[in-house]
Parts: sequence; structure tokens; C-alpha cells
Amino acid sequence: MAKRQLRQRPPIPALDVSAPRSMRRAGKWTAFILTVFLIGLGYLGWRLVTQSAFYMAKSGKATYGKVVDRTGDVLFDGTQPLTNYEWGHFADVGNLIGDTSGQMSNTIVSRNLDELVNYSFTYGSGSSATILQTTLLHSANRAVFNAFGTKNGTAIAYNWKTGECYVCVSRPCVDIVQGYANIAEMPKGSLLCKAFYPTVPGSTQKVSTLLAAYQFAGVDAVNNQQYACSGSWANPNGDVIKCHQDYGHGTQNLAAAFANSCNPYFAQLVQSGLVPLSEIILDYTRMGYSVNGEQAEPFSLNGIVIQPASTTLVDKDQFETEWGALGQGKTLVSPYQLMLWQGAIANGTGAAVKPYLLQSKTTAEQKTVSLATHMQTDQMFTSEAAQAVQAVMTKNATEHYYVSLGNYSCGVKSGTAQVSDDGRQYENSLLVGYCLDESCPVAFCIMIEERESWDVTTAQIAKVLLDSLYGKV
Amino acid sequence: MGKSSKPMSHPFLLLLVLIAHFAMMLLVACSFGLTPEVFKMACAVLTADFVGSIILAVVQREACTVDTVMLLVIGMSTIYQSCFGGLSFAVKHFIFGIAAFLMCQVSYVVTRNPYRAERLKPLWYAIFFMLVAAIFFLTGSRGIWIDLGVITIQPSEFVKPVFVLICASSVRKQLHKSEVAGIHFVPDNLMLILCTVVIAGLQWWCRDLGSLPTFVAIAGCGMLLRFCYLREKMSFRLMIFLAACAVMAIIFAWKLAPEYVQARLHSDIWSDMSGSGYQQVKALTAIAEGGWFGKGAGNGTLIHVAAARTDIVFSTICEEWGLFTGMMTVILVLFLPASILTVPPRSYYHSGLAVGVAAAFIVQMALNIFGSCNVIPFTGVTIPFISQGGSSMLASGILAGFLKAAQAPVLTDRAALNKEGG
Repeated sequence: MAKRQLRQRPPIPALDVSAPRSMRRAGKWTAFILTVFLIGLGYLGWRLVTQSAFYMAKSGKATYGKVVDRTGDVLFDGTQPLTNYEWGHFADVGNLIGDTSGQMSNTIVSRNLDELVNYSFTYGSGSSATILQTTLLHSANRAVFNAFGTKNGTAIAYNWKTGECYVCVSRPCVDIVQGYANIAEMPKGSLLCKAFYPTVPGSTQKVSTLLAAYQFAGVDAVNNQQYACSGSWANPNGDVIKCHQDYGHGTQNLAAAFANSCNPYFAQLVQSGLVPLSEIILDYTRMGYSVNGEQAEPFSLNGIVIQPASTTLVDKDQFETEWGALGQGKTLVSPYQLMLWQGAIANGTGAAVKPYLLQSKTTAEQKTVSLATHMQTDQMFTSEAAQAVQAVMTKNATEHYYVSLGNYSCGVKSGTAQVSDDGRQYENSLLVGYCLDESCPVAFCIMIEERESWDVTTAQIAKVLLDSLYGKV
Repeated sequence: MGKSSKPMSHPFLLLLVLIAHFAMMLLVACSFGLTPEVFKMACAVLTADFVGSIILAVVQREACTVDTVMLLVIGMSTIYQSCFGGLSFAVKHFIFGIAAFLMCQVSYVVTRNPYRAERLKPLWYAIFFMLVAAIFFLTGSRGIWIDLGVITIQPSEFVKPVFVLICASSVRKQLHKSEVAGIHFVPDNLMLILCTVVIAGLQWWCRDLGSLPTFVAIAGCGMLLRFCYLREKMSFRLMIFLAACAVMAIIFAWKLAPEYVQARLHSDIWSDMSGSGYQQVKALTAIAEGGWFGKGAGNGTLIHVAAARTDIVFSTICEEWGLFTGMMTVILVLFLPASILTVPPRSYYHSGLAVGVAAAFIVQMALNIFGSCNVIPFTGVTIPFISQGGSSMLASGILAGFLKAAQAPVLTDRAALNKEGG
């Protein structure tokens, strides 16, 4: 009878509203746990959808899209065999743009594989290719690449106002169309872009030393400082620093010494104590140097890793310290960082606009998203120092490079780096500078390896660079 | 759902189950054609739906939400498991599904009278310690499985429902405090803490710390219910104290975790894609390949990865059926603990049961899904009713029975209460 009563009872009592709140709390807790889980599930769904291209890129199952320059010219094409392009089409961008072979790890393609994947969660592999548009101007890049002739080296240039990187070449360069079958026979350095790797900066380092001097001692004090150069100068320890001009430059002020790239002048500037070594170290550190082993932050250009500059400054009376402040010996700076400083000098603020290479991405769904970054570096040096160095560099260009650079409103500093590599001693030729023309506001760094007097000059390459970019960017 | 006990709604819900399974079978038939295997699976699933519906309609009609969701989910999981990587009717999974459904009815009958279930507390403790002893002595070299030759049993899965019963009991004992040396305490609370410590020790001994968060969640909910017994408002101080205890416990566990757990907590799957991150990388790639609507039943490749049917089953479903179906399946399973929101428990005991089961189900699902998708460290736990595994399926069935009991009508009839031991 009792069971029957139980079974036949149709209505379930409504919620017992008189039940203690503590008992009804069970529902609230369950609702809370459920809500947390559902929020997590929503996050997971969002994450899966937005990162699916990354997963596909990592899995190695993906197909890849294209990389193009600012005008749409193809720099890499994952949708068809590269042999479909004319011979040499990719010869100037192989070690910068790279490919999906995995042979080069520090290139635009390898560092942005997940961006380049032809994949969307909704459309799968999609009918349209993903397109990464870079800021490069391929025609200018190729012209600069060809201007090197048979010489090896690197050149990099960017818009110091916007941060767009227009040109970045590195010779020798792998031709990705040819593949890697003969990788063992490729010239050394073919698989990396030298613009991103530290090298001996030579006298272009004097720009850094000058910036430090201006910041501490003041522009007038430094400009009026005179030192004598008799072709060489011996420091208190008896170590001799030679000038590239055997018979010396005589007594000169800073502007003349900067134009002459006079080693004894700058060595005396460091040694004299006009600028304490501790100040130089501080200023170098602010500029991004790793000084005396203190590790500075590496740079990143759309994922491409660039090691920071480094130098050793221990004792102002020591040859190694003086030699380092002149950009020789253990001092190493990447052309990228040399260019960055030029950007901060060109804009006269002491902080540079950060360069970037990727302009935009057009997805498989034909949506275009901007990848451009408009960011500034930290304050690397004071605006007063930047403007003062700009004046010195502009004067240098006007007086000494007018013929080779033409009518461009430029500022430049050349340098010769003494390099020791695999037991070989040779000299690299460098030129850093900027152009202030509205139609070509670029900062640049050019390096020619093992340049002989009859070879193409850095100024000639700079002229090609500026001619190629003028009015087109 | 709240009105699901009305005579008309029950058949209607079961009709929906039949339609859902029929639609899935049509999709399977589209992928594989009308093969005998498809026919066999369709017959099994649809017959189970039909028979289950009839039995439930005839025997009892109260609290039908849990039964309906169980029928739906078990049928779906049978179809999933049968189609992974190619068609092969998952008979074993199906049988365990039926067994889980029956276990649900058994546990419902045992626990629907809160007074009687609470009086059986000594029995729950006895079963708990028997299971602990079984794990300790019968699983071999610090393992979690008892091999009976024909079948292997994972006793730790059965500890879960027993632990939920233990946590739910004694809520009303909070007023009966003992005093030793001037310290007032509730003996039952000490027993619960002891049981939790025993489980934690056992999990550590078995090197199966993956299930520990589930047990901790059950214990935490049980403890909260006890602390809050008869309190009209949650004490702010109590909340702060409990939160601080939880943080301390997490820090303590983090520091003391074994080396292999530490490694898993800090590992980056993308830097070790062929090693420790292999399963998760494959799982994520499979979901990406599946997209919203999947590659189609039987077209997945994740099945060749270890634990594709268990620990990373969510990804396996997403690969073949799509993320949309995968998410819907998870939400369907969530209907089980969520059902108490519409038909709230009507006794302290049932409140404890419901919250304990909700914690067990949801934490277990979170560990499985978020772990396999690299949101949290990966642990080897199952999704209730979806993952392959008899022990897990039966234990989940028992837990579902508790939910059903929590939604049962209050036994107001004194004679019935007396008859049932109330």
C-alpha cells in the first residue's frame, strides 16, 4: 500500500521556498562551478579557433601562402613551385625572407610560419592563399643587391619617421629556387642576413662615443676640445694607437676629427677624462650595448632575433678600452642597430621609431589585418646630443660626400673595421647615415666586406639606395 | 526541465533522444553506407533508447531528466566510440553504458531516502576502506589497475561515489560537537579529513595524481556544506579563511609535487613535440583539422595516438565530428549536474550528494578537456560517459544515480518512510 502511494503520487512538490538558505546554497555552488567551467570552455573555444593556424603550422601539415613586397611583388610563394618565377627573382631576399625548408631559422618566413599558414578554422585550407605584405621595396632591394657587384656585405635601410623597412640585403645570398642540394659548397654566410648579426663597427662607433661625450660634457665643451694627431698616439701605458693617415692630422677640433675619422683624437677624448669612463659605460648601456658582459636585451624585427651590441670598457688608460671606444677589437654592433641609432639622430629626439618588416596580412577569408607597429624605442640619448651629432654628420656629408651622394640632404659617417676571422685579417668598409629629404626619409647602414680601393664604395651603394627609394616611398 | 516529471514531457524528451540518435546514425550511414555494422549499431542504440524509455515510463516517472540525458549521452558516446578511425561497433562500451544506466537506477534506489542513506554511513566508510585496501594490495606494483584476466578494474574510480556519499553524510551532525582538552570539534569532519588524506596518500603512492583534484573538489564541497550548515549568510571571515587554506594547500602541493609532475607543470609542449607534448600536439592539431564540423565519422587519424578513446577523447570527437559537436556533447553532459538547478535537492543529504557529484563531474571534465588542449597540465582522467573505460562508466552511472535521488520527491508519506527505513 505504501509503495503504491509513493508510485502514484504525481506532483513533485514545488521548490520548498521555506527551506533554509543554507540548503538551497547547494544550487548556487553548483551554478558557480558550472559557470566557471563554461567560461573556461568559451575561452578554450576561442583559443582553438584563433590558434588553429598555429597548430597546423607546427604540425607540418599546413600549406603556406605568399610573402609580397609593398607593391605586391612576390618574395616567397608557398602555393606553387618557385621555379615558376624568372631566374634570380628571389636572389636578393633569400636569406631575409627565407622559405619553409627549415634550413634558415632567423628569417621572416620561419619566424612567422603560423601567420603564413593557409588555414582558417572555418574554411580549412581555404581557396585563397594567405598573403603577408612586407614593407620592402623589391626593386630597390634588388638594385642595392646588384650594386655590391662581386663584393659581399650587407645593407639595410628604413624610414626613420614610420619604421617601414625598405631595403635589407645580405651577400652572399642563397637562391631558394636552387634549393640546398649543394649546401656544403655555398659561400660562408649565404644562409643568414648579416644585417642582423653583430660585426666590428670600425669608426662608425665614433658616433656612439661622440654621443656619450656630448651628453656628459656638453656640446660646446666637446666641439671646442682640440687634440693633436701626429699619425699615432701613445697612451700612458705606452700602447700606440695609429691613425689611418701616417703623417697625422695635426691639431684639430671635433668636427675635423670626426670628418677625418681620426683615431688618436677620439682615443685622447676617452683617455683625457673629459668624459669619465663610467659615463661612457652608462650611455652605451642606454643605447643598448652589452658592456663588460652585462647582457642587454636582444632586438626583434617581426620575430627575427638580433643580438645587441657589445663592448669591453674597463680602464680608460688601457689600450683595449680605447680601441673598443673606436669601434675595433672586441666591440661588435649589428648593422641593424647602427641603423637604429641613425634613425634616432635623424629625427633629433634620441629615441628611434622601431623598424618593422610586416605591413599586413590578408587571410584565406580575404580579411586584411594590419601588422604594422608604430612603436618607439626607449630614450637612447638626449635630444640635444642627437641634434648636435646630426649637425656634425650633416656637415661631414656636405663637405666630404657631396659628389658621391649627390643632392640628397644627408648625414653620414664612414668606418673601416679591422676584422680577424678564422685566422685571416681583413678590413670591412662601413657607412652609416640618414637622409632628411621628405621624399626619402631613411636611415641606413651599409657594409662591404674586404673592400679594396678599386672596389665599389659604400657611398656608391648609398647613392643607389637613395636613388631607388627617392619619391617611391 | 523543472516540469519534466509531468506525464507528457517524459515521452517528449525521450522522443528527442531517439531523433538525435537517429540523426547521428544517418550521418554515420552517409560516411560508411548502409553496412551491416551500421545497421547493428543503429539497432543497438535505438533499441536501448526505446526499451529504456518504456521501462522508465512504466516503472517510475519522477526525476526523468537524469535518465533522459544519460540515455542520450550513452547512445552518442557509443556512436562516437564505434566510428573513431573507422567503423567497428563498440560493443563493450555499449554494454558498459547499459550497465551504467542500471547502476544509476540502483544508486538512486539506495540513496533516494536521505534518512536511510545517512544511516548507512558506517557501510560507506567500510566500502571506502575496503577499496583503499584493494588498491593498496591488489593493484600490483604501485599501479591503479586490478587485472582479473578477462577484465581489468580501476578501483579508484569506485572510490569517487563512495567518497561523495561520505562527504554528503554528517552535514546535520555539525551541531554535535565533541570536546577534547578544551578543543571543540566534529568527529565526522575529522573522519572526512582523514579520508581525504588517505586518498591523497594513495594517489601519490599509485603515481596517479591526476585524479587528486577531483577528490579534493568533492571533499572541499562537502566541507563547505558542513561549515555552512544552518548559516543564513556565508561568513566573510570564513570565506577568507577557506580561500587562504585553499591557496596554502595549492602552494604546498606545488612545492611537494613529484619530479614528473613538476616537469609536466612547467613543460612547453611545442618545444618537445615528439616527447612529453606528443599527445597534446596531436590533439590540438586534430581539432584544428576538424574545424567546426569535423572531417566526418571515421575519417580521423588521432585514433592512432595513445589514449585517443579516453584521455584525449574530446579531441578525437572534435576531429571527426567538429568542434561544434564536441562542445555540444560536453554541454549535454553538463546537463546532468545542471539538472539540480531546476529541481533543487530537498534535503541536506541530497544537497551534499548533488554538489559532490557536480564537483566530481565538472572537475573531471575540466581536467580532461583543458588538459588535453594544453590550457592546464595534462592528466589522465576520463570524461564521464564519453571516454572508454568500464570502471569510469559504472562509477559515473552511480554518481548520476545520486543526482537522480537528489531530484526525487520528498518522502512525505510516513508509512512509506517507515517502510523504507526513514
